[in-house]
Amino acid sequence: MAKVTINGIEVDVDPSMTILKAAEKAGIPVPTFCYHPRMDPAGSCRICAVELEDSKKVVMSCVTPVADGMRVLTESPKIHEARKTNLELLLLHHPLDCPVCDCGGECPLQNMSFAYGATESRFESHRNDEPEDMKSDVLVFNANRCILCGKCVRICDEVQDVHAIGFINRGFDTIIGPPLGKKLDCEFCGDCLEVCPTGAITDHFVRYKYRPWQLEKQQTTCSYCPSGCQMFVETENEAIVRVTSQEGVGPNEGSICVVGRFGFNHVQIPERFDTPYMRSLHRLVPSSWEEVLPEIASGLNAIRKKGVDRIAGLISTRVPMEDAYVFQSFFRKILHSNMIDTGARYSFMNAALPIVAATGTLRPLVDHEDILKAKVILVVGADPVSESNITGLFVKRAARKERSRLYVVDSEAISLSSRAKDHIRVLPGGEQIFLEVLSEEIRQSGNLGAEWISRKEELFKNWNVDPSAYQRLLADLRSCETGIIVAGRKLFQLETPVAGVESLLKITGDLGWIDRPGCGLFVLPEASNDLGVLMMGASHEWLPGLMDSRDPASRGRWEETWGSRLAYGPGGGLEEILKGIDEGKINALISLGENPIGHFPPGSRVREILSKLDMIVSIDMFQNELSDMAHFVLPASSAYERSGHLVSAEGFVQAIKPTMAYWGESLPDWQILDRLSHAMGSPMGVDSAESVMSEILRFLPDLAPSSRNGSHFVGGTGEIRLATPVASADGCAYGEMVHEGNGLSTKFVSPAHKANRESVSSRYAQWREGIKEEPASPYRSIAGEGEFVLELTKSLFHSGKMTLMDSNLKKIQPEGKLRINRQTARKRKIKKGERVSLRTAYGVCSFIVEPSPAVSEFELTFPVHFANAEVLALFAPGLDFSSGTGAPVTHRIRVSLDSQNAN
Amino acid sequence: MAETKHVEVDLEDIEKICEEFENREGAVVQVLQKVQEKYGYVPGEALELVGEVLEIPKSKMYGVLTFYSQFYQEPRGKFILKVCVGTACHVRGAGLLVDKVREELHIEPGENTEDMLFTLEPVACLGSCALAPMAMVSGTAYGKLSADKMVSLIRQLEEETVHEEETV
Repeated sequence: MAKVTINGIEVDVDPSMTILKAAEKAGIPVPTFCYHPRMDPAGSCRICAVELEDSKKVVMSCVTPVADGMRVLTESPKIHEARKTNLELLLLHHPLDCPVCDCGGECPLQNMSFAYGATESRFESHRNDEPEDMKSDVLVFNANRCILCGKCVRICDEVQDVHAIGFINRGFDTIIGPPLGKKLDCEFCGDCLEVCPTGAITDHFVRYKYRPWQLEKQQTTCSYCPSGCQMFVETENEAIVRVTSQEGVGPNEGSICVVGRFGFNHVQIPERFDTPYMRSLHRLVPSSWEEVLPEIASGLNAIRKKGVDRIAGLISTRVPMEDAYVFQSFFRKILHSNMIDTGARYSFMNAALPIVAATGTLRPLVDHEDILKAKVILVVGADPVSESNITGLFVKRAARKERSRLYVVDSEAISLSSRAKDHIRVLPGGEQIFLEVLSEEIRQSGNLGAEWISRKEELFKNWNVDPSAYQRLLADLRSCETGIIVAGRKLFQLETPVAGVESLLKITGDLGWIDRPGCGLFVLPEASNDLGVLMMGASHEWLPGLMDSRDPASRGRWEETWGSRLAYGPGGGLEEILKGIDEGKINALISLGENPIGHFPPGSRVREILSKLDMIVSIDMFQNELSDMAHFVLPASSAYERSGHLVSAEGFVQAIKPTMAYWGESLPDWQILDRLSHAMGSPMGVDSAESVMSEILRFLPDLAPSSRNGSHFVGGTGEIRLATPVASADGCAYGEMVHEGNGLSTKFVSPAHKANRESVSSRYAQWREGIKEEPASPYRSIAGEGEFVLELTKSLFHSGKMTLMDSNLKKIQPEGKLRINRQTARKRKIKKGERVSLRTAYGVCSFIVEPSPAVSEFELTFPVHFANAEVLALFAPGLDFSSGTGAPVTHRIRVSLDSQNAN
Repeated sequence: MAETKHVEVDLEDIEKICEEFENREGAVVQVLQKVQEKYGYVPGEALELVGEVLEIPKSKMYGVLTFYSQFYQEPRGKFILKVCVGTACHVRGAGLLVDKVREELHIEPGENTEDMLFTLEPVACLGSCALAPMAMVSGTAYGKLSADKMVSLIRQLEEETVHEEETV
């Protein structure tokens, strides 16, 4: 340790620390422009100058390491002069257009100039007058305001690993922008916009539309993907103006992705339902809560009388835990029905069921911090960057900065592949056999039976897997100190997903990772609150707390808790619901943000089946196929308007907070259901989302709100930019603030968010014994003719179908394009932007083509968000459900491509 | 100034050039020099391909390209008229040479003639001040020039080209 004295305060710090870090530890702010805690120091802005008392030298604190006995002054006449001169130089070229600059009012350069009084310059020079680079639809680059701190370039390189912008030219002419004078082409995360200390980078969507000090700021949790990003929604007159992030805050540590940052506009457009609607003479007519609720209630009461399990419910997994909790209790207690299911059924349920069976919990064994420390990371069947962006950033950081050995098993190149030690390309759908062979090989410690040996040969021969890469992965998995497997959406959509996830669970256990801290399986849920909604028992399998809904003991426990008998029937999920409706056993459907029609190929009879219902209640924000045929449409509030909690992929329970008033007459789901229960004469008596949360916490105390901030982040005072006061985020404290050491630094101590290894371990051992080691079964490959496999993938720029309504995100990705291998396209003389048609035994559909080097020559991909009825018509119609999890199967299909048919 | 027409870039050529330097990231400047030797400038497409082969992001490649004044992003004439405007040449009338070229070929410094034969490029010093005013074309130095001599040099180069084309 080195003893350093800063402004007379003595601190003991690690000798590898810089003076800036030591000052931070001493609680002394030093102004910076180019310093950023998550990136390597650059030392380019020269504003963090400090004086060494002994040598009287002025050094840059962000790049100078401390030495034992060093005495530093962060403020002195000499330093004041140095910083002032530096500001004068910066202001030489910087235009003083603060009155019209978006950054004015929250500009570090402006604040510093104010603090140091650098009003007039002794130097003479021309001001830059480069025209703004307006080519991008998202960001505007203003070279004149740029002080070349390079933070934007570095965050794009070091944190995002996208390398979209760079320094151009040299000396005074240096500017920042995308290469070759082209339009910016990147992931549009907007991190560069966030870190820019001046108004050099602004965004098209809100330019000239606000003054920062007039905005109201509210910290909330992003409700798109399961990363659980903490973001700040800034509003003016109840309208969202922009979404920002704050360095170090939240598990995202200040980065948010394109969807979180720009995808807020759809909640404030006229297309949103703002009042309840009621069907009258085949038309939906605007109505009022007073009118619709008694109507719905009397209908439900009449159906409830017929018996149990007569009313079905579907709920989206983007709603907070509170709403899911009220949903399931409304169905089980009031409607006597266990015919409930969630949006997770379409994919994540395929992982949730085996994981809960094996570990007893949905919380992960590892989190993002463990990913950073892991020596070996295997990403299989997942594209973390687009599925859970922050997980993707952590994997990138682990591979680049922490030198973790990263393996990617995927048919196509994902953005992580370039950082992988080995990208093991399998043919589409080959992840299944890959995992089975790998799992068996690990279990048998290499002594494979004859059947498995031929299986392994099949893997190398028929599925194009590189044997040496496979061996390297195997050896690394066996020998590594800490290892993590990241799996996601693609894995849930295999032909037999349960077997795939079970293989992963077996691998995890057989490698001894269950008991070894830092090791484990990290499965990416699909939506922001898949975990929370399932934990609240919103699917037919589970009561709250993931207790078996059919087990009398669990049922008894909740009956005791709720003080009422639970008279629900055996119930069922999507499969049983559709079957029940078809057979006339279910007469009403209440859907909270779900639309089953949009998930099945058009010929699947879903519409026909649903039309047999006596009553459809669609609680949603926008019109869709289900609301078109509903008898009642009720307006739901968005995640930007209500409060509640979401459970992130890491297991954090984080709050979403209202940032604006309820849209029109809309209400949060829990409140709609509560009012409905009152109208039915069996009131649930829910007062508020907060009261629901306290009820949940009474019985499931482990779900206490938890979060994590960046490790370099030490609370409000530790901001080591200029010490401008930052409004404290009210009510968003997770856990307790604990003072450390000399009381100068603080840290959050948050409740546990990861699974408890001990309880997982005992549960897992039981599960592992029960699993039969079946001999190798022949792999069911995708049958049928056709040259390519069509796959529906998740886009980085959208989340579900709702964001298709968002004007900002539509500008970034307006339409779905069919991605085809670049070489294949060249060979077949298909050019970018051309139309081709795809043909299967079931249908034909035309697409606009986008050649890409990432896609393999066996595959075509299309963003699932844009998969409308025409696209789904390519898939086999019918109600095919996967055995074991009841998930619908429509994921991959072989297709033929006709370029001649193009028009 | 003439409308610039970009050349077609062949991936194999680029791969061959990168191969010469063992696809080393550190050889990026030499690779770009070779590319410029081949095409007369560094076409944008070539820059992207070099980046792909050497695994350097496009934004970094463009940073390198624009950092060095030796690299050109636009096609240039067959003959680069490097007219020295350094101190010694300036004193001995380099300005007149530049003016003459501008007048004769209707191009400004840095521009190409419409037939892509000439590019005017005033340079700081060619290191042969004793021969001032001087110019350099395709590696050959021409000393003790005058405006008239400059014109006849241009004519001579034009004739050579015509002759070459005829023999082809």
